[in-house]
This record gives sequence, structure tokens and C-alpha cells, in this order.
Amino acid sequence: MRVLVILALLVAAGGAHAQFRMPNIDINRMVDTVKNVGKAVKEIDEPEEIAIGKDVASRLLGAAPLVANPGMQRYVNNVGRWLAVQTERPDLPWQFGVLDSSNVNAFAVPGGTIFITRGLLERMRSEAELAGVLGHEIGHVLRKHHLKAIQKGAQSALAGDVLGHALRDRAGPARDKLIAFGTEMYSRGLDKSDELEADRLGVVIAARGGYDAYGLPSVLQTLQAMNAQDSALALMFKTHPAPAERLDSLSEKMQPVLDAYSSQPQLAERFVRQIKK
Amino acid sequence: MRILVLLLLLPLIAAAEPASVIREVEMKQAPATDAATLATLPENTAVDALERKGGWTRVKTSAGEGWVRMLSLRLGGATTAKPGASGLTQAFNVARTGTSGTQTTTGVRGLDADQIANAQPNPAELAKLEKFAANREAAASFATEGKLAPTSVAYPK
Repeated sequence: MRVLVILALLVAAGGAHAQFRMPNIDINRMVDTVKNVGKAVKEIDEPEEIAIGKDVASRLLGAAPLVANPGMQRYVNNVGRWLAVQTERPDLPWQFGVLDSSNVNAFAVPGGTIFITRGLLERMRSEAELAGVLGHEIGHVLRKHHLKAIQKGAQSALAGDVLGHALRDRAGPARDKLIAFGTEMYSRGLDKSDELEADRLGVVIAARGGYDAYGLPSVLQTLQAMNAQDSALALMFKTHPAPAERLDSLSEKMQPVLDAYSSQPQLAERFVRQIKK
Repeated sequence: MRILVLLLLLPLIAAAEPASVIREVEMKQAPATDAATLATLPENTAVDALERKGGWTRVKTSAGEGWVRMLSLRLGGATTAKPGASGLTQAFNVARTGTSGTQTTTGVRGLDADQIANAQPNPAELAKLEKFAANREAAASFATEGKLAPTSVAYPK
């Protein structure tokens, strides 16, 4: 912060003298230096990622509570945790929740919290399909897609050094602003390339867990068959590429993996027992 | 018991839905590349999708039943846009979403864009969420019960 003030003073002084002579300072290099100092301060480490994630998760739960069905919640946690163990971040505090909403959607929160809606779960036919969707969301967490978007967005959309303040003081007003911003991001979505990457990771993660790799493509076909005007799909379709594009991308890039692991279990019966009762 | 069996079969029956072929595809006698070819279905052929096995979907066509590559199908019928077909459904869903909360709460809840953007923290539900988390050991025995064998698969480049 102090560096910024000094820079501002220097620029102001430079401007005042500009009519007499060009200031003999390389402003570009100074700006770069300040940026790098800022970056070093603002690198979000894993404990911070987890703390930000819990605050964002709390807000999403404010939008929709958990389905009041402990058996269903534990079942989804078992599937999700089993998949997460197969990845390079096996020991994050992974937790999975089914949100009580008829909307069709799923959310990945930094630090290992994953939500899926009751509306999406009810349209699935097997555990392999659930694994495909959870794998997609786990992929977002592994690659820190939302965390990076929060970090990037906070720097450009929020005034001043909100991110720095929010990281230093977890109870201050800057923190509130950052978490509100991070939550709002779920209404706007990620870059398309992040979504397509998460699809590829989801297929791999489900296959690693021992599931039929075609679970995710199967869910995408279900979404494709639904009426795009259905309001339950509005936010998901607004924040994700169309199912047809996602299926094309998977078929273009993942056909060998899909086919190599297509005869692994789907576990339709266990899924139906746990979800449809 | 018989009812239970019927219930278990329901999702399989419900899976029959209209679909169309997005690119010319061979219809096979069995879900395998080397199975006998029964017919070649041209693009836009209307079919009924009956069930999925790995990357194959069993379909019913005017030329009989067989298996086609799952990703050669677009589910939802031959026409991509059906404007106005769901006016009623839409109104119904809006109404349902508006009252979907099972607990009485203050303020409007839901997962529409505006509702997410304005959501307030819910620490009580967060505490519940943490309570349901599974540890590695529980997840491993759950996998064993389902006969899931972990495999090593590389991420795509």
C-alpha cells in the first residue's frame, strides 16, 4: 500500500514537471515493480483457499439449504471422497452437499467443497453418472479455477487492495466484500475453456475411481434432451457451454479414455437404492 | 418384494427417449465395434434410445433394434428447437422454484443468478455439511462394497 502511495506521488510530481522536462524515471518499470510486490503479497496459499471456500460455501448454503436426508448426504460424500482420493489433492477437507433446489446445477468451491442440486441428482440414473459430475467439480478445485477467477476479478473489479486487506483481516469489511464477490461469481460462471477442461478431468477421475467413464457424457446427453427454456436449467446453461459442444469436445479429445474404461461398473442399483427412496 | 424389483427397473424403462442420429452411424447387433452391422443409419434418423452400456446405446428404429455409438446420438428428438412447447412446464417450474424451500426462512432463497448474488451466510447449514463428510477409510470401504477397483489413468495433455 505504501509503495502505491509513493508511486502516486511520483506520478503526480512527474506530471507537474512534465511541461518543463520529461522526468528521468522509467514509469513502466516502476509500475511493474509495484505489480510484482502486490502479487507476492496476494498469492493465496492453501489454508487461505480453504478459509475463503468455507465462507463462500456458507453463502451458497444461504441461497439453498441441504436436503434433509442424512443417508443421501453421506452417500454422496462417500462417492466424492473416494474420487478425490484418486487425485493430487487427496487430503483437502473435501465435503459434498446436496442442495435442496429443483434447479439443475453443481458448484465447486475453492478448498474442496462441492455442491450438487437435488434437481440434478434426480435426473441421474447411476453412481457412474454421479461420479462423472463430481469428477468435473473436483477438477475445478484441483486446477483452482474459481480461486484464480476470484483473485483476478478482485484485483480488477474491487477498489483498492481489497484482496490484501481481506486476507489480512478475516473479520473486516474487505473480507465481506471479497466473499460476496466470490459468491456472486457463481451467478456469472467461468471461462468456457475451464469448463471443457473440467469435463476432461471429470472423465479421468471417474475412470480412476473404477467407474464406467461414460457417466459424465451420459448426464450431458440427459441435459441435452431437456428443454433449454426450462427455468430449472437457466443458470447452468448461462454459465456453461451447451451440452452439444461439451459432448463434441469430449468425443474429439477423450474417446480413447472413454472406451478404455467403458466396461467398469455403473452401479445403477446402489444409486437408485440410495437416492430414489 | 416384487414391487421393489419393479421400482428398481423403473429408471431403465424411463430411459427410453426420442433421439436422432447426428452423423451417419452403423447399427450393430451387440455393443462392440466388431459386432455384425445390422444397418447404416443416415444423419437425422429418428430413433428411440432404450438403454446405455458403456459407450453404446441400444436404439429402436423403423429398421429394427440394435446398438449405436452413444456419442453419435442427440437426445431429445430430431428438431433441435421446439419454441413454445413448454410454456406450461415453464410456468410450473417457476412456481415450484419459488416455494421449493422446505424450511420457512426469511427472504427469498433459491439458486437463480440473483438469489446467489444476494445470498447471506448460513453457518448452521455449514456445520451440518461438515458433519456429513467422509474420511478416506470410510470412502475406501464404500468403494470395496461396490466392487470399485481404482485404476491409474493419466490426465489428457
